[in-house]
Parts: sequence; structure tokens; C-alpha cells
Amino acid sequence: MKNMNILKSEDGLFEIALKINGENKKFKVKNNEFLLDALRRYGYKGAKKGCDSGDCGSCAIMFNGKPVLSCMMPAVTAHGGEIVTIEGIGTIEKPHAIQEAYVEAGAVQCGFCTPGMIIVTKHLLEKKPSPSDEDIKKELDGNLCRCTGYVSQIKAVRIAAKKMKKKGKK
Amino acid sequence: MFPDLIVKPLGLKELNKILPSLPKDRKFLSGGTDLVVRANADIENSQCWIDISGLKELRYIKENAKTVLIGSGVKVSDFEDSSIIKKHLPALLSALPQFASPSLRNMATLGGNCANASPSADLACALVSEKADIVLYLKGKKRKMPLKDFFLGLRKTALKKDELIWGFEIPKINHKGVYMKLASRSSFAISKIGLAISADINKEKVEYLSIALASVAPKIITAPKTRAFLKNKKINSEILDEAALIIQKEVSPITDIRSDGEYRRAMSGVLLKKGLKQILVKF
Ligand SMILES: Cc1cc2nc3c(=O)[nH]c(=O)nc-3n(C[C@H](O)[C@H](O)[C@H](O)COP(=O)(O)OP(=O)(O)OC[C@H]3O[C@@H](n4cnc5c(N)ncnc54)[C@H](O)[C@@H]3O)c2cc1C
Ligand code: FES
Ligand code: FES
Repeated sequence: MKNMNILKSEDGLFEIALKINGENKKFKVKNNEFLLDALRRYGYKGAKKGCDSGDCGSCAIMFNGKPVLSCMMPAVTAHGGEIVTIEGIGTIEKPHAIQEAYVEAGAVQCGFCTPGMIIVTKHLLEKKPSPSDEDIKKELDGNLCRCTGYVSQIKAVRIAAKKMKKKGKK
Repeated sequence: MFPDLIVKPLGLKELNKILPSLPKDRKFLSGGTDLVVRANADIENSQCWIDISGLKELRYIKENAKTVLIGSGVKVSDFEDSSIIKKHLPALLSALPQFASPSLRNMATLGGNCANASPSADLACALVSEKADIVLYLKGKKRKMPLKDFFLGLRKTALKKDELIWGFEIPKINHKGVYMKLASRSSFAISKIGLAISADINKEKVEYLSIALASVAPKIITAPKTRAFLKNKKINSEILDEAALIIQKEVSPITDIRSDGEYRRAMSGVLLKKGLKQILVKF
């Protein structure tokens, strides 16, 4: 590709450069591929495809610092962007305080909605370290869960806020 | 289908430079929350998309003595944190939490909401009640018109080929405002009807009023007869009832998958009364 700003189709594929969870990556993507599918193809399977139409929030990732729905983004439009997926937030060995809080609150049942919930929770707590229940409900508004009934997620965010304040951790 | 060619100019200069070399059948792509859905459903089939999310020139919220200036590329979520919007555009502010979901608000833009020209566009409706002008840009030249006149019909606008929505200019008028939306859920659903009111009511007397409605006609409409009736009147329950009857004659709703035409007509009156009462409480 000669001009990095112009994404040309070569043999039907586009090469895009991304920063994912702090690492520089290059993806080859189809012109009609969504970012969610590309991420999952390259091994970032945390983001889930719940509805594929922008309605459920299970595909949420951070894009340039804010949660977006990766099922709605053509992969090529992510070119040059910075992405954080759930894999970049914490691992099984070293979970993030928010992940611990979701487990403690029993907010994870099948777990399908959880990566998206954690992404938006992280964004909320970055903006508001001590959110009210109203703030929590507003922020989780676009994230659907078919298992838990939402009370446990609200509890999880409250616990996470406390944990993060204690640890002084982002 | 998505097009084979998607280009992302990183500035206006670059856009103007590459434009002539692109396939004729081309469209701008901003947040993509309308265009991509349409392409995925095979309703939209252009040959080339120009991703304008890299045009920093279109991302501003500014003010001068008399006007608020908003760029078309501003993300909906950027408004939520803006002190300028909080201070001067209460109807728009009131529409924000009723628009889609937080993550979608990080993607969608005001320019896209207007260019799409859906009769149900919540932000476009609120902006019409705020008396916004829209600024359009083509080949180095800008032109301006009232946003209300920009909408020509269902998905039809005054945009010429390759013309870009540059931004919006909204007069600073001392007023309160609300956006009322009825949908099958409290948020995250397309409106059955939306009604925006910007008003200055002093000791119950209506000194300034502007009304806009969504999803009750092929495009966003205003309610000039209702407005003329209410202007300089003192608000009481008889006046409100009379105004509700007038607005019901001004709308021309249809029955579709989201709602029933007669319901929409009745609700235009109900929302008008409710909205005006809410504004009274705010004074
Ligand atoms: C799940 C979901 C929920 C939604 N909820 C709501 C809702 O509650 N209320 C509501 O009003 N809408 C809603 N929408 C519709 C949509 O999100 C909005 O209309 C949004 O504002 C579109 O902005 P965009 O930047 O994503 O536009 P895009 O999809 O990028 O563009 C839409 C159209 O505008 C054109 N365009 C975009 N920017 C410009 C510009 N600067 N100059 C010229 N043309 C331009 C494009 O060519 C395209 O034709 C929803 C959509 C989804 C998927
Ligand atoms: S999969 Fe993206 S919102 Fe449901
Ligand atoms: S835990 Fe199963 S969908 Fe939320």
C-alpha cells in the first residue's frame, strides 16, 4: 500500500495497522469484514457476537479510548486506531479489579455479555471513580444480559469502584 | 455490500485532492451507524466510501457572542460533556440520553443523523427546535440554510453530490428545552414519535417558543400554527387543551411497524402538554 491513508483493495484484502492492547499489529482484512470478525479471526475471542446489529453490547471494545461496538465497524475503518479488548484488561492469572468484582458479585453466569460489560464499566470508572447507581444504570444501558437480571452487575460495578480506589489502580 | 474501495483522508486538503480520482458512485462514511447497517442489509450499494472520521476540521464545539458552533463530525457522546451545550442547548441536551446506547453514542455523529434524513432522527429534531442553521461545504465554498429547510422529504436533503455537512450554527436564545420521545423501550429504540420544545415562559406567559416533531411526517417538521396560537398566551389547562387539538391537525403520521397513525396523532397533543408543563416547572 503506497499511501497509508488510502486503503486500497489488493486481491480483495486490505492491510490495516492497529495498536491492540499496547502491541502494534497488522491485520489483513476483507473489505466487507467487520472489526469484530477480524479480531476474533486473529485470536482476540473475548469480544462476542450477540446480535450483530448494534443492540446488545457484547462486542464492545475500547477504540481510541472509548467503548464502541465492533460488530458495527467495518474493519478497514479501524486503520490507525488504538484498541483495547478484554484480553488487554486482565488475564486469568492476573485479573483486573473489575473482573474480580464481577466474579465476587456473581455477575457472571454464562459469561457471554461479560467482556462487553467490563469494557463499559472500565470506561465509567475512568470518568467517575465513585458512580451512583443511576450512573451505573445509564452506562450499562446498551449491554444486554440474558442470564443475571442486572442487579448483580450493578453490585459488581460498586465493588469494582471500591477495589480500584483501594488499589489506586486504573 | 461494502464497497471495494474505502478511503480515509486525514484532512480536508487530502479529501479535496483525492475526490476527483474516486469512482463517481461514492458516499461519505462518518460513524457508520446508519450507512453500515444499510450496506449490510444490501439497501446501500455505492462503489466507494470516503471515511471522514479523520477530518479533524469537522470536530469542534465552540461559541462566540451570539452563536454556538458545532462540527458535523462531533460524536454524540462529546456533547454530554460539553459545558456549552449544557448552557445553551437544553432541548438537544435532553435528547442525548434518549439516543441509542452509550457505546453507540461514541460512534454516531450529528452530521450523520441529519444527512440520513430519517423522519425519526432524534438529534435532528432537537436541533430544528433549537433553530439551527446547517453549514454545507463543497469545493472550498460554504453555504448556509435553516436546518428545517435542509430536509426535503423521506431520506431526501438539500445536499448536492459530494457536498459535505460542515457543521451547525445555533443562535444563543435564552430558553429552556425538552425532548420527549415515545418508543417501545425507554431508550435504545427508534421513536414512535419525538417532540422537541424550546421555550421561554415568563410568569406563565409564552414569550418564545419553537416546536419540532419527529416520526409524524415524512420528515422532521415544525408546528407553526401551534406556535402562533401559544405565543404570548398565558399557559393554563384550557389553553393547553386547545393547543393539543391544533398540533394534532398539524401532524400527518402514518401507521407503520413501530406505531399506529392515530396513536401518534393523539400523542403529539399529549407530549406537547407534558413538555410545556415540564418547562414551566423548570422556571
Ligand atoms: C442500534 C442503533 C440504535 C439507534 N438509535 C437511534 C436513536 O435512538 N435515535 C436516532 O436518531 N438514531 C438512532 N440510530 C441511527 C444512527 O445511529 C444515527 O442516525 C446516527 O446519528 C448516524 O450518524 P453516523 O455518523 O453513524 O452516520 P453514518 O452512518 O456514517 O452516515 C449516515 C448517512 O449520512 C451521510 N453523512 C454522514 N456524515 C456526513 C457529512 N458530514 N456530510 C454529508 N453526509 C454525511 C452518509 O453518507 C450516510 O448516507 C440508531 C442506530 C443503531 C444501529
Ligand atoms: S454483537 Fe455488537 S451490539 Fe450485539
Ligand atoms: S451472564 Fe449470560 S448473558 Fe450475561
